[in-house]
Amino acid sequence: MTAKSHNRVRAVDAERRVINWLGLGLFAFLGVAAVVPLFFIIGDVYIKGIDAINSLGGLWVFLTELPPTPFDESGGIGPMLVGTLYMTALGALLGIAVGFPLGVYIGEMRREKFANVARAGVNVLVEFPTIVIGLFVYAVMSLAKEDLNRYLLGPLSSAISPLGEWVPWFIGPLDGFNAYAGAVALTLIMIPYVALITASAYASVEQPLREAAYATAGREFNALFVVLRKAVSRAVLTAALLGTAKIAGETAPLLFTAFGNFYYAPFTGPTGAVPLWVWYAAQTPYDVQIVSAYGAAAVLLTIILTIFIIARIRG
Amino acid sequence: MLGFLLVVLLIPYLIAAYALLLVKLKWGLRQFGAFIVATIGLLTATFFVEAYPIIERDGLAVFLEARWDPVRESYGVIQALTGTVLTSAVAIALAMPMALGVAVTINEILPARLKGIFGSLVDLTATMPTVIFGLWGLFVLGPFLHDVVNSVSRFLVGDDVMTSPYTLFTAGVLLAIMITPYAAAVIREGYALVPKPVEEAIYAMGATKFEAALIKLRYARNYIFGGFFLALGRAMGETVAVAMVVGGNFSRFTTNIFESGITISSLIALQFPNAAAYQYMVPALFAGALLLTLFGLAINAVAIYIIQRGQV
Repeated sequence: MTAKSHNRVRAVDAERRVINWLGLGLFAFLGVAAVVPLFFIIGDVYIKGIDAINSLGGLWVFLTELPPTPFDESGGIGPMLVGTLYMTALGALLGIAVGFPLGVYIGEMRREKFANVARAGVNVLVEFPTIVIGLFVYAVMSLAKEDLNRYLLGPLSSAISPLGEWVPWFIGPLDGFNAYAGAVALTLIMIPYVALITASAYASVEQPLREAAYATAGREFNALFVVLRKAVSRAVLTAALLGTAKIAGETAPLLFTAFGNFYYAPFTGPTGAVPLWVWYAAQTPYDVQIVSAYGAAAVLLTIILTIFIIARIRG
Repeated sequence: MLGFLLVVLLIPYLIAAYALLLVKLKWGLRQFGAFIVATIGLLTATFFVEAYPIIERDGLAVFLEARWDPVRESYGVIQALTGTVLTSAVAIALAMPMALGVAVTINEILPARLKGIFGSLVDLTATMPTVIFGLWGLFVLGPFLHDVVNSVSRFLVGDDVMTSPYTLFTAGVLLAIMITPYAAAVIREGYALVPKPVEEAIYAMGATKFEAALIKLRYARNYIFGGFFLALGRAMGETVAVAMVVGGNFSRFTTNIFESGITISSLIALQFPNAAAYQYMVPALFAGALLLTLFGLAINAVAIYIIQRGQV
């Protein structure tokens, strides 16, 4: 190799090295740009949120009291917190109850044609605009409400009302907007999350392990739901927790199903939720309600961060 | 009566499906598959039925005209459709480079210890409640973009281009932050599937890390297209955060992204509470929902097709 060509190779090499650093730098910059807003958002919510909770009367008042009217000095998100916890718990339980077997189906029976149809359906549903799901539940609710109350819930609630004072808080003739409609909308959002992660967990079970499970379990049901469940339980638990975190913060599906309420009220009527209060209060012109929106956002974020961190540590 | 039967039979149906799991597993499992397929079918059918009055009255004009005048009972959603397209376009244009950056950063640049943390942060962005994004957009991002865009435009054209902090552009930027993790997840999946021999061959040719990253991204291009469409679907359907920053201009047709506008989903969210007072507003909003549903189905079909074509 002559000295001249050697120098040229060096020059090209140096150029490639510079391009390499520039290119990787650009990718790193873009990647970091995707997560930087997260820190700004979390910082913003906690800085303003903690101030808000203190100025509205402290943590306990904030977690239990009714929301502030425009003329109040203090107040909280008590009814909304109860509504969120109730609807999220119901939605998560139902979502797991349907999502888990569905995930087993599309993960284990991949060779079946209908399983692929169902998988496409789940993929569509996980991407569906959440407001559309809320509207769907609203439409079904408004169709079913009258007959449901006349033939089923009316007689049922009068039959079991002697059981105690608590009955009408949970069971009774439904309003057009109620906590159960909200929970169903959240369920429909939760199902595909759980199903997809369950499916990929079952699909990644190795063939020898699957054969061993079928050999020892006796019945197919035991093989899939008892033996193999232990192999995938960690992934499924993570799916359940992340799905719960997701639905706890959903607003759009609750707009026309739970609707929102400022008071402690029976779950058979309009029910408040923390995200709904953030959505409503942030858009009012009253300072005290905007402040309480930040406090509510801080509480909501704490709930979701807690679930998220548990999911990450366990998973 | 139909709705009543639907709701009442749902619970016995699910119980029966569970019982069937014990008796004849495969058929029990199929019931759950049928449940989800039926849900999507019913959803589409419901929107057709609910939107029918306005489609019967106006024909397709409801999708093609720009007016939103409840007092005259005249409705059109093309301005909302344009808004949806424009915000999604801004969002996708910003989000795709960031999603590629996330995939390359995680796989090529970060040391193994930081990979998990960075990945968790991206996942957390996807889990964050949308209403919190909206709150941030309303009080922080909107005013910030207003200042930045206007100081740039004063320098370039000598005038303010952004009339208010709450515009289609604000919504697009906020959406970009929200949808990046979804696109990134799909691209990461494809990036990780590049076979080891291919990777070794790339480095054996003497490629630098950057060149290797470009080749691997080309290898995973099906996943990039798939991620593109999935993120697009998310951007079109996102409601609450967009409704908080888009400006709520229901009626005026605009293609200027620096003006306030409306999207279909935010139109539904903002107008539905008053809809019951008007005769045709509910059907008009359901027509919007129908449009969103059909777009969602089409976009997902394309995305699933692209990704599955790559897998075979």
